[in-house]
Amino acid sequence: MQNKNPKLIEAIDVSKQYRSGEITVDALNSVSLIIKRGEFTAIAGPSGSGKTTLLYMISGLDIPTSGTVVLDGKPASTMSSRELSDFRRDHIGFIFQSYNLIPVLTVRENIEYIMLLQGVTERERRVRVSEILEEVSLGGMENRLPTQLSGGQQQRVAVARAMVSKPDIILADEPTANLDSHTGESLIEMMRQLNERRGMTFVFSTHETMIMERAKRLVLLKDGRIEKDEKRQ
Amino acid sequence: MILLKLAWRNIFRNRRRTLLSGIAIGIGLASLIFTDALMIGMIESMIRSATGTFLGQAQIHAEGFRETFEVENTIHDLENVIRQLNSDTAVKHYAVRAQAFGMMNSPANVSSVIFYGIDPHREKHVSKIDEAIQKGSYLAEETTRHLLIGTGLAETMEVDIDDRVVITTAQVNTGQLSQEMFRIGGIFHLNIKEMDNGVVFMHLGKARSIIGLGNNAHEISVTFHDAGQAGNQTLPFWDRYSQEENEALGWRDLLKELDAVLDLSGFTKYIIALIMFGIVALIILNTLFTSLYERLFEFGVLRAIGTRPSRMASIVLLEALSLAAVSGLFGICIGLIVTYIFSIYGIDYRGIEFAEVTFRELIYPVMTINQYIEYPLWIMLFALVAGLYPALFAARLVPARVLRRSM
Repeated sequence: MQNKNPKLIEAIDVSKQYRSGEITVDALNSVSLIIKRGEFTAIAGPSGSGKTTLLYMISGLDIPTSGTVVLDGKPASTMSSRELSDFRRDHIGFIFQSYNLIPVLTVRENIEYIMLLQGVTERERRVRVSEILEEVSLGGMENRLPTQLSGGQQQRVAVARAMVSKPDIILADEPTANLDSHTGESLIEMMRQLNERRGMTFVFSTHETMIMERAKRLVLLKDGRIEKDEKRQ
Repeated sequence: MILLKLAWRNIFRNRRRTLLSGIAIGIGLASLIFTDALMIGMIESMIRSATGTFLGQAQIHAEGFRETFEVENTIHDLENVIRQLNSDTAVKHYAVRAQAFGMMNSPANVSSVIFYGIDPHREKHVSKIDEAIQKGSYLAEETTRHLLIGTGLAETMEVDIDDRVVITTAQVNTGQLSQEMFRIGGIFHLNIKEMDNGVVFMHLGKARSIIGLGNNAHEISVTFHDAGQAGNQTLPFWDRYSQEENEALGWRDLLKELDAVLDLSGFTKYIIALIMFGIVALIILNTLFTSLYERLFEFGVLRAIGTRPSRMASIVLLEALSLAAVSGLFGICIGLIVTYIFSIYGIDYRGIEFAEVTFRELIYPVMTINQYIEYPLWIMLFALVAGLYPALFAARLVPARVLRRSM
């Protein structure tokens, strides 16, 4: 993505079907979506509408049953497992619903992990970890284990982990679902500020109205189809 | 480095499971180390018992003597052989013997015996007859008419110290019967049934005289400065004394049964090791899979954030190696302690006969550096092999599938 392609990710007529016993479930149905640089997009919809599946598709974590996902101008279906891993490592930051930090690693090690995979020097890693921890207001907590942090603090570490490798896009799957409303609101506010200050691209799924309202673009999913795709201020 | 750190810390996440697996693997390793040490000790003891009792570490005979025991078949050019032995730097001691079949008569009974003519002074250095005397005394220079007989034979013949017996044998070449009266000078107990029940020792000169051997002899028993030389097939000794229709044989050739047992013991050791390593591999496989299934989602996260499949596999393999290393260390410590204790106090198998050898001394397990390097390395190797399948499983995980479980 060094060529600054304005289309970060493109989903073209993507469908995904799952088999659950004898039943086939249409998780996504002919979804087309373009994510551009600098967007702050919420993918909203009720439970089972296909939000998580869409996030998996556009990150190369899952393969569509039909249709194409284009990552950095290259169809994901033509990329090997290793290429997809490298793509996610270098271009995508993930924030998960249940934080999902590695429990045996400290805050610093959790954040450093991706940079270690990228081969960033120790000195650079130290600087970037310190900076990012200040940015998410967790300065001084780098040596704590995830279990020694509150839910909100863990989610901030997850945000820091997602941001530290300076990805082109951060994908967050219901990042506020396990947080109280105040903490959730402040997390979204922090993400929005990062979007505005740094121009970082965010795509997050949610079913909370309050969170949807903070998005600059709202993609509404229902029964695996895009029901609405609107820009907001 | 981060992967190693991750693997190392992961194995301590479920301490109880790691502890139980570690103990099982460690005890397996310790028992392997101990078994190896015990087998070495046992083999050394068997060799010492077999060679030290009477056989010697090597023997020189006339070719074919051992097959027929014909009294005429004596060592060729004995004087020259003895001269060479005297100047042979590898040879520590030697004892010349004459031997023949005969009949022993006592007032109460008669029995067939093998009688050996020995040089009492030299014999002390190659065999343990003098130490095995239970009653009476060992042969002395002046007691040429004394015999040493085994406890079993004494019982059969109903004789005791100073009782008179007659030995009858056929003379060399003429075949004429020759008789000589002796007194029982000593009764020995070598703990070898055949010897205690049917062997008689007398002065070499006396034996030569009743067999009509002149200055000839049938056997020279030899010990080396370095006992290990007896098993060295390239030693010049064998060629040097296997000339002029004589043959020099080491204990491996003289005791084929023991040699076969030793070969078998090596094979047995490998079988035991293989079973043990198989069990270790299964324990590691089980531990890894249990741990992997517990952390499927975490593995999904690692894949999602950009960990390559090969690195996922590395994490699992490093966990297998870490578990093996911890268990190995534990096993080494236990093995070292147990083997050390028994190497000090020994294990009492005395009196037990195995492969025609009776253990005459305590068995002391022998510690070697190899036991503490080779076996732990095998454990690591088997752990690595056992970790391959779970590693492959982790590498092939479809991130979306495992993440979907709880997202």
